[in-house]
Order: sequence, then structure tokens, then C-alpha cells
Amino acid sequence: MNVTKNTEKDRLNFWEKLYLPEIARGLGLTLKQMFKPPMTRQYPEERWEPTGSYRGRPVLVLEEDGERCVACSLCSRVCPALAIEVQAAETTKEKERYPVKFEINMLRCIYCGFCEEVCPEEAIVMSKDYELVFTNQEDAILGKDKLLIPIAQLQDRLEFLRRYK
Amino acid sequence: MSSIIDLILGFLSEHIDALILLAKIGLIVNGLLMAAAYLVYFERKISAWAHNRIGPNRVGPLGLFQSFADVFKLYLKEDIIPTLADKKFHFIAPIISIGVAMAVYAVIPFGDSFMVGNKEIFLSVAPGINIGLLFVLSMSSVGVYGITLAGWSSNNKYSLLGGLRSAAQMISYELSMGLSLIGVLMLAGSLDLTTIVHAQSGGKWNIFLQPLAFIIFLVASFAETNRTPFDLPEAEPELVGGYHTEYSGMKFGLFFLAEYANMVTASAMMVLLFLGGWEMPGLYEALGLPAGSPLIAAVQFGVFVAKLVPILFFFIWVRWSLPRFRYDQLMNLGWKVMLPLALANIVITGIVMTILKHYGIM
Amino acid sequence: MPQITIDGQRIETSAGKTIIEAALDNGINIPHFCWHPGLSVSGNCRMCLVNTGFPRKAADGSFERDENGNSVIGWGPKLAIACATPVAEGMVIDTKGERTEHAQNAIMEFLLINHPLDCPICDEAGQCKLQEYGFLHSKGQSRYNEQKNQKDKRVELGPNVMFDGERCISCSRCIRFADEVAEQPVLTFVQRGDHVTIETFPGTSFDSPYSMNVIDICPVGALTSIDFRFTSRVWEMSFTDSICPGCSRGCNIKVGVRNNEILRLEPRTNMHVNQYWMCDDARLTQYKFVNENRISSPMIRSGNTLAPTTWETATARAAELLKNYKPSEIMVIGSAHGTNEDNYLLAKFAHSTLKTHNVDFFRHLDNHFADTFLRTNDRAPNSHGIVEVGVKHEPSSGVSMDTLVERIKQHAIKAMYVMGDDIAANSDFASALTGIECLIVHASNHNATTALAHVVLASTTYAELEGTFTNMNKRVQYVQPAVATQENERIAGLQMSRWDKFGASNDRWARGERRNCRQNWQIIQNIANLFGADWNYSDSESVFKDIANHIGAFSGMSYNLLQEFQGLTLGKADSPEPKGVVYQSHTLKPN
Repeated sequence: MNVTKNTEKDRLNFWEKLYLPEIARGLGLTLKQMFKPPMTRQYPEERWEPTGSYRGRPVLVLEEDGERCVACSLCSRVCPALAIEVQAAETTKEKERYPVKFEINMLRCIYCGFCEEVCPEEAIVMSKDYELVFTNQEDAILGKDKLLIPIAQLQDRLEFLRRYK
Repeated sequence: MSSIIDLILGFLSEHIDALILLAKIGLIVNGLLMAAAYLVYFERKISAWAHNRIGPNRVGPLGLFQSFADVFKLYLKEDIIPTLADKKFHFIAPIISIGVAMAVYAVIPFGDSFMVGNKEIFLSVAPGINIGLLFVLSMSSVGVYGITLAGWSSNNKYSLLGGLRSAAQMISYELSMGLSLIGVLMLAGSLDLTTIVHAQSGGKWNIFLQPLAFIIFLVASFAETNRTPFDLPEAEPELVGGYHTEYSGMKFGLFFLAEYANMVTASAMMVLLFLGGWEMPGLYEALGLPAGSPLIAAVQFGVFVAKLVPILFFFIWVRWSLPRFRYDQLMNLGWKVMLPLALANIVITGIVMTILKHYGIM
Repeated sequence: MPQITIDGQRIETSAGKTIIEAALDNGINIPHFCWHPGLSVSGNCRMCLVNTGFPRKAADGSFERDENGNSVIGWGPKLAIACATPVAEGMVIDTKGERTEHAQNAIMEFLLINHPLDCPICDEAGQCKLQEYGFLHSKGQSRYNEQKNQKDKRVELGPNVMFDGERCISCSRCIRFADEVAEQPVLTFVQRGDHVTIETFPGTSFDSPYSMNVIDICPVGALTSIDFRFTSRVWEMSFTDSICPGCSRGCNIKVGVRNNEILRLEPRTNMHVNQYWMCDDARLTQYKFVNENRISSPMIRSGNTLAPTTWETATARAAELLKNYKPSEIMVIGSAHGTNEDNYLLAKFAHSTLKTHNVDFFRHLDNHFADTFLRTNDRAPNSHGIVEVGVKHEPSSGVSMDTLVERIKQHAIKAMYVMGDDIAANSDFASALTGIECLIVHASNHNATTALAHVVLASTTYAELEGTFTNMNKRVQYVQPAVATQENERIAGLQMSRWDKFGASNDRWARGERRNCRQNWQIIQNIANLFGADWNYSDSESVFKDIANHIGAFSGMSYNLLQEFQGLTLGKADSPEPKGVVYQSHTLKPN
């Protein structure tokens, strides 16, 4: 095995060693690119609609008779970033238990989707919402008022979960 | 009342030369700053095109006011001076950079003189300087002070390395740059830039007579202006921002402007020395205008700019196409390739000139 | 002394023990639901089935050997339940083999047929035996496709216990507890087969003062606490070993804390004090005062109001006030709610710094509270200890609690230094205290005494301090902080849940109040040093070392020994009771 065989000197032919033709080729490539149409999406005007597989802001499923969540706190336990806080309380409904407080700190959330995966009720799912901007830390803690989303808006994700989870 | 007007008019006529000079300085400085600003805009646009992007398009129509927004932002930003910096030199370095970049324009002619009444007006701040070329070269050498001082005074290892690289690089390439111009000088027989331009009249552009010198000058210009592929002094991946790491606000803006002003300078020098300046064979005859009229001067300026723009485009185009050299490659190229070639060019030019003169062709 | 072999381990045990007891003594845990060491054996869950056998003997009486020279075991034809099978000489027991495992799998599958598997809403989840064995001994799938039995899910067996019939696995632990320990036999099985469920006899309610212990011993979540129901998941709390301050029994407890708030108390096994149990009253009352109505910083009186201030100001003010009085005009009152350490330094402060002989303490006696099991008539945890460390009436010269009211009225006592106790809750004292010129009070909660005080020094509750209590049987037991104050925040040894460990100031779940309170002995030391005492105890342990060195009854004791032996009896530090194996009905996984 002769390692010296693979030096730059050996690999390149005369014109390549001269660089100039190669430089010209490179310049030609960029020049060609300049006349291709841009691939940019003009974001605030053109928005992207994610598919069901997209993991956006986690939300709670709201059915006709209230939330699915039973406040089992498994999402809270599994959350690697400790973003979720749940406080359970008793109800007279059949499910006995509901979250009197359910808060997700979006500054902590890393969108891993573990909460969705662990949820025994399919009550917390990842939505398509990717526009998350806050002006202070308190605003970033989303309570039940912001988390509960009617089930009709989450059909894509629920369908995805049914098929692939 | 009328006496005051008389007084003013008297003053004006008495100091007309000085006033014209001031006006020219004002025009050139503002024009240059505008040019630099739009150069930044085009740099961003061209890079966007090369990347299949759109580029700045939000501020003003087609994003044309983007540069103003940027400069305005720089003015508003906090000017941070590191605690351990050498404050005097930290302050003075960007001033040297931009000052030198501006000063060069004193000797650059943009066209022939024209007559207003019986007053001859030159398209140059300091016309008739017979060492114009030398002045340009020396000024561009002083420019290295700005960068080296910035790097050293910041008291930051990245800045210092950037400054050192800049000094080494500029000294290395200045040699070949200067030597490449000897051939041009031999042909023109003068250091006066106007004379050099006139020597190229009738299509005898030096790019055809001195192609090797042109290439050497072109490459050396890239190095002198710290443009890719020779932008080692500010190599972001390794040196953060190089010599201007510790600069913020408008001081950083001055370095930024100086870099683009230097680019314009280098391009203007190429136009003057190799592309015949404002000369364009047959154009002025075809227009049929009298020599020395302001219209001719305007057309000449237009021709000058028309030659300048493709070179600037080339500068930008190269930046978004080629990767940066390694430091040893940079030095090898400078000392082992460019310098011998520049020397050879002088010898060849001399021999050819002697032979041609011997046969009376020249 | 029969010799038996469990899982290849040779064990010497005493005759009459069952297999499960013998195994537990040697650290081998045989899965079980219905067996509990504090209750009789019923043997109805069948979870503890083990493979038993004896070495086979040849005709000549010698042990048969296989080709490797090991004795050949003649395994029993059927498995035996470890909880009801006594050990016998030479018995060989296999708790992990294929046959045992098959039986355990089958039992688990059987028990899970009608179990609703509603772990997400069940309070027991996380400390549930069924859940744990589900992981360890179950196949994780069921062959049962039919409809599960529907039973009542919310039945109040008593004022404090909620019963969920679907979750019940009919182990009968609660029934046996009611019969044998609580001695209130009101629970029974009704129905038969898979419809079996538990009810109280008509017209009765399971309201024994010990009823809530069934919540702990229930191996599943069938019995839950009405007080705690759904307050928190088990794994969100930290559990700190502590001592109940409710009476002089000194029951060993675990304090469940989340977000710096006590959410529940559980009994901790200590065979020499409370065995496995504690009373409902303590569970329901002995945590609320830690969370509510707290004095969160020292206060001094200006006009009619008490204004919060810094420790420096408050202690300086207290010292300045005390210096105005002759020693004989000052009365110092210790507290049976305080630790030995607190009272030791208080006595030292009174005798050597203030040089007063007027030292006594208030007894909290309540004969209605006492019973024949755990509850005693002395509602303070440390009445015996503080007498030992020097807080007691000096008959020769000092003023006692009995004569105090009279002496105040005579203006013989003008200043009082009260540590911890709410003496004004007693109406005699309340009226007398209004005539006191200077009243300095250590208190953890706002009460009638603090309302009259001139200086209030915020002190810790039992859940925030480190120290020792001495119970009615003179057993000194160790208490450690479960709740953080501004001072003991994150000190080494404070049990922390995952949420405590990783919470930041911008997490709403980590904002439980940290109060600016101090242990009584720290406050006393600060004031004594303003009198030039020059004490420098750095922590409770250094005070306790001082006690152990100076007071004979405590000699030989240390915090380490107290923790190791779950308490030591006064004067008998060198001969502790045997540690034994501590049985916990369920084990909590670390966070």
C-alpha cells in the first residue's frame, strides 16, 4: 500500500492543477443557478399547511361533552423537559377525574411528542400549530383555555395516530 | 441689501476654485457611500440568486432601501468597547480604514475635463497629480493599518489573528500588485492616471497588451480587499469575525463600508489601468459632440461606470462561488506564483518593447 | 431450628414460621396480595404460590443423588401458598422456577379479568402491588374477551374511606384489619364468585379512628382516601421519614410533599412504636398547619400591629427588651412541641444567660383523645424529652405554670419568653398575658399568643426541622426536614422529587412558598449571643452532641444511631432493640 500515491499532486491533472479552468467551471455553475427560479416561500403571506405527521404545539382534545383528559399526569411524568403541569380534581361524571389545571410551558416544550405517545386516552395530541411567539414568560405558559381544541380540527393527526402509532 | 448679495457673489467668485473642490469632495464622498450601500444590496441579491433565493425584498420597492435600514440600525446600536481594549487605537482604527478608502478617490479621474464658460472643470478631485498611481498604491498600503490596529487594540485573540493575517496578506500581495503595474507604466510612460487612460485610446487597452498583468492585478485586488477567496482576516468559521469581532454599531459599519469602498477602488483601478478608463473607440466621434463639453464628460462618466459594474459583479460572483484558501495556499500563491509571474511580465514587456522599438513599430 | 432452602439459598429459620415469613426475614420477597404481617393469614389471593419439595430418600435412608452429585428433589404434586405453609426441616422452596412463574402468570391473568385497568385515574398507580406484579409476573395480555363485571365505583365505606368495587381483588386485608386491628368488625364480603364485593353491614359505617390504614394496606386502588383523592400522583411527591407530632406516641410517618406543601401523611413501619399503623386524626390534621396560616417571617410590634422585619432587627429587639428586666421578673416557657435540641438550648439560655429560675412548660392533656391502641392523652410529642433536657419547674425558687397567672397579676413576672406553645389558647393565660410588659414568642402559626406578642420569632414546624422527639415510652426518635424553608432550601438530605430537582423560578409548579423561619434553637442562640453567650452550634446535630455529652440519659446517642435503629430508649443507647425486617406494604420507586 502506497499512501503517497494519493496526494493532491497525483490526483489532479495539469489543468486542474492550474486551478483556473476549475474556477471558471465553478463560476459557471453559480451563474447558471442565478437564472433558476427561487425556491423561497414568502412566509407571512404564503403559509405552509403541515400534514398529519407534523409535531406542532401539543393540544388537548375537546369532545362535545368536555375534555378527554383524565389528568393522569403521565404526560407530565414522561415529559423530558418537565413542560407539563397537571392538577387533577374529582367530577361526578363517569370518568371521575378531570384536570382542573393543565398547563404546558411552551418555553420548556421540545415537541418530542412523548406526551402524545404515553397518553392512555389519546387526549393530548400534537397539533399543526407552529406559530408560537410570546412576549413574556407568563404568556408562554398555556392553560386549558388555550390548549383545548375541538376534535374536528384535529382529525388529520388522529387519523395519523390511528394508522401509524 | 444689494451690498450683501454683492458681498456674497464677490466671495463666491473669489473662492470659486475652492468651492468647486468642496462640491466635488461632497459628491464623491456621498456618491461613494451610496455606491457602497448599494453594493451591499447587490451583494445580498446576487448571493440570493446564486442560492435560488429572493434576497432582500421587504424594505422599499424590491428591497432597495434595505441598506439604509441596515445603516440606520447600525447607528442605533450600542457602541461596545471591550474593557481591556486599547481605547485610543480601538477608536481610531475604523477611521483610518474608511479615511484611507475615501482618500484614494482624490486622484481617480472619472473622465476628461470639460469647460463651463472659461473655467475648466476636471472629473477628479485632485487633477493633474503626476504620481496618481503611486498615491493609490501607497494609500491602499496604509489601509492595512486600520485593520491591524483594530485587531491588535481589541485585545482579543481572534481579532489579533485576523489583524496579523491581514497584514501578512496585504504585504504579500502588494508586491505582485505593484510589480504587475510596471508593465502598464512602461507602456504609458507616466504615473498620471489620466495619461495612462489616454495612452489606451483607440482600443489599445492594456487588458489586451498586458493580459498577464491584468490577471495578477485582479487576483491581488481580491487579496487586497480581503474578499473571498482571500478573506482570511475575517474568516468567520475560525476567527469569529476576525479583526472586527469586537466592533459594534457604526464603528463596525465603517469597516464594512471601507471594505466595499476598497472594492470600488480596486474595480476603478482596473478600469483605468486595463480597460481604457472612459475610452471607447468610435463612441465619441459617433456622437459628434465638441470636445470639452459637459455632455461628453457625462458620457465619459457613464462609460466609466458601465465598465466598473461588471467588475464589481465579478467580485461578488466570485465570493459566492469559491471557497476560502488555506493560509499556506494563500502564501504559496502570493510568493511562489504571483511574484515570479509579475517579474516575468516586466521582463517580457521590456523585451517586447525593445524589439518593437527597434523595428520602429512603437 | 429447621433448615430450609429457598431458591438455592440455605436458610436457618425458627419452627412455626410460614414460608413467606422465613423468606422475608432473609430478604427474599415472595409476591403476595392478601398476606400482611400485621394481620391473620387468609390465603385467598393465591399469588404467593411456590413450588415446594423435599430431597428424595432412597430405600436405605440415604439421599438420592443425580449424576452431578446434587440431591434429587421430590417436588410436591401441587404448588403451596407460601403465606400459610409452615416451614419444615429440609424443605426446598422454589420461588422463581418455571412452575412457580406459570402459576403467578395464571393468577395475575385471573385477577386482571375483572380489574378495570383504570390506572390513569387511580390514586394507587405508582405504588400499586397489582401494577408492580403486572410488570414482573404477568404476560401483559389477556385472553378474556367478554364484558367485564360492572360494580359500584364510588362507595363511601366510612367518612374517610372511598371504595371502588371494580378495582377490588378481594384480598380481604381491609376486612381483617377492621376485625383484628381496628376492632370494628363492620366490613364483609357479599355476593359470590366474580360478583363478590365488600360492604359495610347495614346501618354501620367504617368510622374507626384507624380506618384509613386500610388505604395503605389495600394492595390495589380499591380503597382511597376521601381527603387526598386525586390531589397528586404518587411519583410527584417526595416522601421524607418523620415522626407524627400529634401525640406522645410518636408514630413513625412518611411525609408526602409536592411543591413545598405537605399533601399527605402515611405510617412508616416501626415495630417498637406504631407497628404499621397510625390514627386517622393525625393523617387529617397533622399536615394542614404546616401549609396554612403560617408566620413567614419574624415580626415586631409597632403600635397595635405586628410588622414583618429582618432576623437581625427582631433578635436585637428581643434581647433589648429582655435586658430591661431582672432575672426574677422573666418567665421562660418551653414547648413540648419543640425538639429536645430546642428545649435544651432554651433551658441553657434561661439558666446561664438570663439567670432566671422561672422555667416551665405547658402540658397539652386531652383525655378524650386517648385510647388503648395508639392514641395517648398527651397531645404533644415531646413532653418527656424536654423534662430530661432541663425545661422543668424548679420547686425551690421558680415560678411554675400553676402559679404564673397569680405572679403576673402581682407584677412579679413582667416579661415572658414563650417558645412555640399557644398558651393564650387557655383563657386563664389569655387574660393574664394582657398584663405582661414584654412578651416574646416563637411561633410557626398565627394564634392567640402571637396576637398579644411584642416580638414574634418565626419558627419551623416539625416538617421543616431537624431534631429529636422523645415519646411517652422515652424513645428518642429522629425528625428531618421534609419541607424547605428559606434556610434549609436544598440542604443535603432533603428528599426531593423530580419536580423539586429540576424546577426553576419560572415554573409555576416550583413556586411553593419558602418561609423565612428558623429552628427554635437557632433563634435562641442568636439572642443568647447578643447577651454575650458566644455559642456556636452550627446545626441540630451539634446541639444533640452537646446533649449526649451533658445529659446522662442521652449519652451514647447520635443521629446516625437514631436513624439506624429507628429510635433509642433514654438511658439504653448501648442496648438498642433489634432492627428486624421492616415490612412495607408497598415500596415507592425513587423519582
